[in-house]
Amino acid sequence: MSTNIEDQVEAQARVWSGVAPPHAASRDFAHGLVEAIRGFERARGQLVFEDEPSSFEAALQETKERAP
Amino acid sequence: MTAASDRATALTRLTLVEACAAVREGEVTSEALTQAALDAFKAGDAHINASIALEREQALDIARGLDKLRKAGRLLGPLHGIPLAHKDMYYRAGKPCTCGSKIRRTFRPTFTATAIRRLEDAGSVTLGSLNMAEFAQNPTGHNAHFGDCHNPWHVDYCTGGSSSGSGAAVAARFVYAALGSDTGGSIRLPASMCGVTGIKGTQSRVSRHGAMPLSFSADNVGPLARTARDCARVLHTIAGHDPADPTSSTEPVADYEAALNGDLRALRIGIPTNFFFDGADPEVRDAFEVAIKVLQSRGAKTMRLEIPHMDAINTYASIVSRVEGATIHAQWMRARPHDYSMHLAGRLYAGYAIPAVHYVEALSRRGPLLRALGNEVFDKVDVFATPTMRMKVPTLAATDIDAGAPGAIEAFAIIIANTRAINYMGLPSVSVPCGFDANGLPIGFQIQGRPFAEAKILKVADALQQDTDWHERVPVLPAVQPPENGPGAR
Repeated sequence: MSTNIEDQVEAQARVWSGVAPPHAASRDFAHGLVEAIRGFERARGQLVFEDEPSSFEAALQETKERAP
Repeated sequence: MTAASDRATALTRLTLVEACAAVREGEVTSEALTQAALDAFKAGDAHINASIALEREQALDIARGLDKLRKAGRLLGPLHGIPLAHKDMYYRAGKPCTCGSKIRRTFRPTFTATAIRRLEDAGSVTLGSLNMAEFAQNPTGHNAHFGDCHNPWHVDYCTGGSSSGSGAAVAARFVYAALGSDTGGSIRLPASMCGVTGIKGTQSRVSRHGAMPLSFSADNVGPLARTARDCARVLHTIAGHDPADPTSSTEPVADYEAALNGDLRALRIGIPTNFFFDGADPEVRDAFEVAIKVLQSRGAKTMRLEIPHMDAINTYASIVSRVEGATIHAQWMRARPHDYSMHLAGRLYAGYAIPAVHYVEALSRRGPLLRALGNEVFDKVDVFATPTMRMKVPTLAATDIDAGAPGAIEAFAIIIANTRAINYMGLPSVSVPCGFDANGLPIGFQIQGRPFAEAKILKVADALQQDTDWHERVPVLPAVQPPENGPGAR
């Protein structure tokens, strides 16, 4: 399997969603995922969170503005 | 210029709140305001392409009906008789709703969006629909199907997007306010680039029933208007729980206008030391610092502090809307990909390759990251302020991805850098004008607060506007033929 991000995106989109590259420039947009992948790599092990996924709606309530 | 046109111009230059008072007191009719707004579109929209469709006769009929009600001593609500127009992604039963796209060019919804219904129930007159980025998915105002929207301050420059027509129409004094939508900055960016005020509330503050979806987790409905007080009026009208949108909050809606007293003596403003000023244009930095001084002169205390976890927040924010947008558009991307503009099809396409495990990671860490922000930022300051956009307003040509402009894809990322992260965190955020750059284009100042602190951020925005006149400046539209690359050129 190619390790080229553009090829990987094309394969994933085709296999999982039946979506083909809409035009030649699509590969440029596929390349844009590289920064996101690097971001996930940097986040590995860097952040400590609760064991269970917590609700965003609950966090909105916990951190909300309180009346003075 | 005739006395009649002078009068019409004077009417369009009122703020929304002033216009509301004038109608309420019988100083002006809704018909006169509506006619003035329609005339303003007719005189100026050929240059900026802010509208998609106007319903002239219907709007005037509604305005006359509202005038009869007022004469009979009855006002529908706080927006009685006020002409508005909205981004063309809000459903109105039986009316075309293009979403700025070829794919939905003939779409006619069978029901009306809650936000539109609440505005009309409050007495507003809907003039029609406004231009927007295709499916609300670019931050510049380009549109391959209905023509690019042009900045009223200079038609070669971007309006910002995706609520491009909303920003341009409010800035050009065509309408007093307009609904936009904001998933990564789509209210605040056009507000910033067009020199008007725009607010997105806390995630879930306004019902999204009948609003075209882009990203379930980050979509927000909100207004663009000339002042913070105008935004307060409109936001108060549309906010609050809606049974038709189970994701809308049951949190009580504060009296936003009552909070606008200009008193900042107890207010602590945070100024980020990381991320938000990275690579910022010196003119943007200078305008920001001048605005901070204005707020300090009203008693606000400022503190420079780090906003935690920005790298993770940006990483997660970058994929949530991509995945959700790709999901929504999957069938069209399979069946008719060539009916999308080049840049949108390319952006959606990449979304199909993001693994589910990372999407879930991004969503599941949203709560903990918000708690960290609460503990590390909002325990020290009441709000934090940033430039809305780090760069100066770019030209349409420099950011035209479909035309192959070098660096345009990278420019998109820079444009949304300071806004998108706020959507991921779900915070309320307002953009207000804080100056002009050397090209004569506006600069925006962005204020964030805790969840449901809309009143507080509007209070800061209003205080800034009490001591500055950036929001009162009016662009002069060209008195010549529309530009060669203007509306209809595509």
